Parts: sequence; C-alpha cells; structure tokens
Amino acid sequence: MHKLLAKLRLRDRHLARLVNIGAPYLWLGLFFLLPFAIVLHISLAETALAQPPYTSLWEWVDDGILQIRLNLQNFSTVFHDELYLAAFLNSLGVALVGTVLCLLIGYPMAYAIATAPERWRVVLLMLIILPFWTSFLIRVYAWISILKPNGLLNHLLMGLGVIDAPLTLLHTQTAIYIGVVYSYLPFMILPLYANLTRLDFSLLEAAADLGCRPFKAFLKVTLPLSLPGLVAGSMLVFIPVVGEFVIPDLLGGPDNLMIGNMLWTEFFGNKDWPLAAALTLSLLGLLVAPFVLMQRLERRIEGEPS
Amino acid sequence: MANSVERRNLEPWQDPRAMPYVRIDHVTKKFNDIYAVDDVTLDIYQGEFFSLLGSSGCGKSTLLRLMAGLERPTAGRIYIDGMDVTDMPAYSRPVNMMFQSYALFPHMTVEQNVEFGLKQDRLSRQERAERVSDMLTLLQIGELRKRKPDQLSGGQRQRVALARTLAKHPKLLLLDEPLGALDKRLRESAQFELVNLQERIGITFVTVTHDQEEAMTMSTRIAVMDAGRILQVDTPTAIYEYPEYRFVADFIGLVNLFEGRVVENEGDQVVIESTVGRRLRLRDLRPHAIGAPVTVAIRPEKLSICETYQEDGVNQIKGVVEDIAYLGDVSIYRVRVSPAMLVEMTLTNVQPRTEQVLTWGQEVAMEWSPTSGVVLTE
Repeated sequence: MHKLLAKLRLRDRHLARLVNIGAPYLWLGLFFLLPFAIVLHISLAETALAQPPYTSLWEWVDDGILQIRLNLQNFSTVFHDELYLAAFLNSLGVALVGTVLCLLIGYPMAYAIATAPERWRVVLLMLIILPFWTSFLIRVYAWISILKPNGLLNHLLMGLGVIDAPLTLLHTQTAIYIGVVYSYLPFMILPLYANLTRLDFSLLEAAADLGCRPFKAFLKVTLPLSLPGLVAGSMLVFIPVVGEFVIPDLLGGPDNLMIGNMLWTEFFGNKDWPLAAALTLSLLGLLVAPFVLMQRLERRIEGEPS
Repeated sequence: MANSVERRNLEPWQDPRAMPYVRIDHVTKKFNDIYAVDDVTLDIYQGEFFSLLGSSGCGKSTLLRLMAGLERPTAGRIYIDGMDVTDMPAYSRPVNMMFQSYALFPHMTVEQNVEFGLKQDRLSRQERAERVSDMLTLLQIGELRKRKPDQLSGGQRQRVALARTLAKHPKLLLLDEPLGALDKRLRESAQFELVNLQERIGITFVTVTHDQEEAMTMSTRIAVMDAGRILQVDTPTAIYEYPEYRFVADFIGLVNLFEGRVVENEGDQVVIESTVGRRLRLRDLRPHAIGAPVTVAIRPEKLSICETYQEDGVNQIKGVVEDIAYLGDVSIYRVRVSPAMLVEMTLTNVQPRTEQVLTWGQEVAMEWSPTSGVVLTE
C-alpha cells in the first residue's frame, strides 16, 4: 500500500515537473517557433495572385511524387539589391547613433535620479514614464508640428533671433535622431536607474579615500558596476530602433529609408509576402548577432567563479 | 631613568613636549540644524591605538569621516602631522579608512582591490606588485588573491579591507567599526590580531566602536562621546576606574550609582549621606562644598559580603537577593536595598555553584572600601 502511494506521489511529482518545464516551452512553441516557421515557409515561396498571395512549397505530382520547391530567390534579392543593403546599413547606423545618443543623455539623467533625495526620485521617475500615457503615434505626430518649417521650434529660434530663416528639420536624418532619442530615452534610463540605485556609494568614498579623483572613481568603479544596466538599456534601444517604422516614416524623408519602411512597402504596397518574409528573417539574423555578442560580453564582465 | 623614557613613549599624552599627530581643534559639523559633532577638541599621538566610543548617533563616525576628509567641518580646523588638512579633499589626504561595510570593489579581485590605491599613487608596476604581495602575506590572505569579494567570508573580507588600506602606507589609519561585521568568536581573536598588527607596523590607528569591551581591549586611549561631544579622554583603566561623568560610568561596564549630598569633607575624605539612608565615605582629592549634590559610582566587583554589619556603619548596605546571573567565572547578584534601588554585586565563583552561600530571597550585607568608589559631580 505504502509502495503504491509512494509510486503515485512520484508520478505526481513527475507530472508537476513536466508541467513546469513544459509550459514555457509550449508558449515558446506556439507563439515564437510556429510563427517563425510560417514566416520561414513564406520566405521560401513565390508570389502568386492568390489568397494568401504565395505558392505552396510542396505539391503532389502524379505517380505519388512529392515535389518540394524551395525558392531562395528572395534571399538572393535581399542580399544583392543595393536598395535593401542601403536600408539595412541605414537602420544599423540610425540604431547605433540613436543608442549612443540615448546613452550620453540617459546616463547622466539616470545617475541624477538615482542620487536625488528619496522624495524627489518618485517624481523624477514619473516624469520619465509619463509620456507613455500618450500614444506613441500621437507623440511622433506632435514632433512633426514642432519640427516643420513654420513649426514651434523654428518660430522659437527665429523669435529669439538665433536664426533668420527657418531650418529644414522635418524629413531629414536629424529629425529621425530626434524622434528616436525622444521615444527611446526612457528605455535607456529605466534599466540604468534600476542598476545605479543599487550602487553602494561607500565604494566611491572608498575610491576617494584611496586617492582616486571623482571622475576617475566614476570610470573605475561606477561605470564598470553599471555595465549590466548599460547593456540592458542599449539593447532595449538598439533592437527596436533597427526595426523602427513609424519614426522614419513620419519624420524621415525619402532618402532615409530604414528596413522597417522596406518591409512595409513590400508587404502592403507590392504585396510581395515572400520577399517581405525574407527581409524579416534577415533582420532577425542581424539583431540576434549583437544580442549574443553583448550577452557574452556581459558574462565575461560579471566574471565566472573560478 | 630608562623607565621614565619608556613610559613617556608609551604614554605620549603625558608628555607636555610631545607633538600631537592628529589635532582636532574646535571642530563642529552640522547636518541641517543638527550638531553631529559639537565643538570637539582632541589630540591623538603617533603610534596610538585610539578609540572613539559611544552609542549610535553620538557623532563618532562623523568625527572619523571628518578626519578622512569625507565630510567638511562646519567650523574648526583639523591638523595631521602638523599640516592643516581641513580643506584637503579625501583623495589627497595621507590617511586611509577602513569602512564598516569594508566597501570592497565587487568587480575586482582581492589583488586588484589591494592594488587600487597604489595605482592612484602612480607607483611602478614592480613596486605595486611587491607591496601587494607584502600586504597579502602580512594579513595571510595570499591564497585568496584571485578571488572576488563575494567569494570571501566575513573575516577574509575584513583582512582584504585592511590590506587595501595599509598598502598605501598611510600616516593614519581610520577604522569604522572594524570588527562590527564579524561574529562574536571571530571578533575576539580579531581584536588581538588588530592590536598586534598595529604594534608591528607602528601606524597610528583611530577606531570607532560602540562596543566598550572592544575599546577596552584594544585601545591606548578611549574618547567617550555623547551627543556630538567628547566627555572624557583617558586610558581604558582610567575610564573604567575614574569616570568623570555619570554617562561615562554608566556606559562602560556595570555600575551602582548612589545619589546623595556631601555632609563632611576633610582632607581627602568625603562623607556623603545617600538617598537610600546610608553614609558613604570616599577618598577624593577635590574639595566639595557641604550640601552639594553628588553621585557616587561603585563597580559591582568592588563590593564584598560584610561580616560586621552595623546599623550606622559607613560604606555598608543591606538588602535581599532578588536576581542571580550566573556567568560561570563570576555571578552577578542583584540586591534590593530599597524599594527604588537595586545594587549589583559581582562575586567570583570560587566554590562550585551548588555550594554558594547566597541564594534568592536571602538577606545580605555588603561593604566596600573608601578607595573603590568615585564621586561624580556631573
């Protein structure tokens, strides 16, 4: 009897373990792997005037022969057409510069909030998060009326006598950077803030006590210890900016095409789903590489126990 | 003659010609409207193991941080080795501090932590390596050199922190609760180690502690602080045997305090009529006005059982044993002598516990000699 109970309990435990481990895998399978497989499937198909607008990969020909046609043309187009290459490079460039700008502006802000008196911190953090209450799209639209030739910014600068003629800001690369920094700054500040509040400030006192001037103490102690927050913030900015569509579409000009715009055009404009899918997968590959690299870097900094 | 020279070296504060190594001159530190340190003047001499003792919030840590340069005084000057360092930032002071939390850099190995201060001094690579290995050897942590702080025990971290501060060869080492983070057993051995280390390297130590036992064991002199002020600066023996303030007497060890008024004062003898109705006779060289209110402090171990109790006996008191705290080597008896007063008496347990003479509820008469109490006026 006891043995039976023990056996049952053991089976229960196996079941619980199966559910525990299985649930996340099921989730990943349903919402990541399956869609990924579908996109992969589409990227290897050909366009067709049909519903859905692509051909099937396999076909039964007579005599029981299964014919599978994998069309690699789309990937070839993506990698050989200079338009896509330029868009890829532009996306990476915008993401890189945008991330660096967010870092340069966000780090001092995060540091200031983390070192502010307790009662101020909540207020300052609220100010950072507050813009999220308004739709992202509306906020980017608002920038159009700020940046346009007879917009707020030009009015202000001309009123102050800084410039004589309106600056061309809208539909330029600068406008994209402004939009990117504005929209993604909180994603840089929040992880950095979370990291910096955990910083033990007696470490800086110890550094000073050991003869280290404040700026050097920052470089030697604060910066290395805030690296995990810095990496997290940079990834939270870099990855979505590479695939950004709204900001270049609204604020950028015809010369500032990013990969997100190309995707949109292929998918909705040209109805070329296979090419759009191939673009998507190339983009994914492009984003996974820096992610893996940064994670490896982070692991090296945190140090493996010897 | 040789004796007096030796004595002078051991007790430089007794020598009027000795130059203080650290001079704190009327230093005040205010945080907003609160006086953390209130008009403190203090001289510390070379080679001393000096302790700042007080309960939390008494300003002892602030005083230490003022010496380190981590705080600037609101008023007053600080001199170290004859140099005015009041306006000198922490990073240029010839002083190093060991933090209560140790403040080891978590992203650096033990070796890198110890080397950190040396790098700031722009020493050559070879010299740095030498000093680091000297320090690691001195504190016996050579085998930990490649570990990170989170892979160390509390005692090991304390050694690393010490090595890091000592590597810079400071003129003055400040220690904020150096043993506070260690468990009790470790703390006792660490106390002796710290003193031995200080004697070997000859650097002046200033420590902050709230643990009176720790201060008594380690220090050449102790400054007892309360509410931002220094009440008394003296050797551990003098602090214990001749406290000048009620607070000091009460803070260090156990003490019986008798309130009373002076009724006689002839020569070095003072007779006090205490509020518990007994007369106390004490030896005290200071003149006291008749009728002046005073407090008499008598340590529990100065009391003994009285065989010749008299109703009007001087330095005698009778009561009923209410509590007995058996500590192994000694027992503390708490004797009710009046409805408002308990007197504590410590007796060495010469006999085994089962054969002790005193038990709960028993009446006991106690006495002490005129030289074993102190008259406190403040």
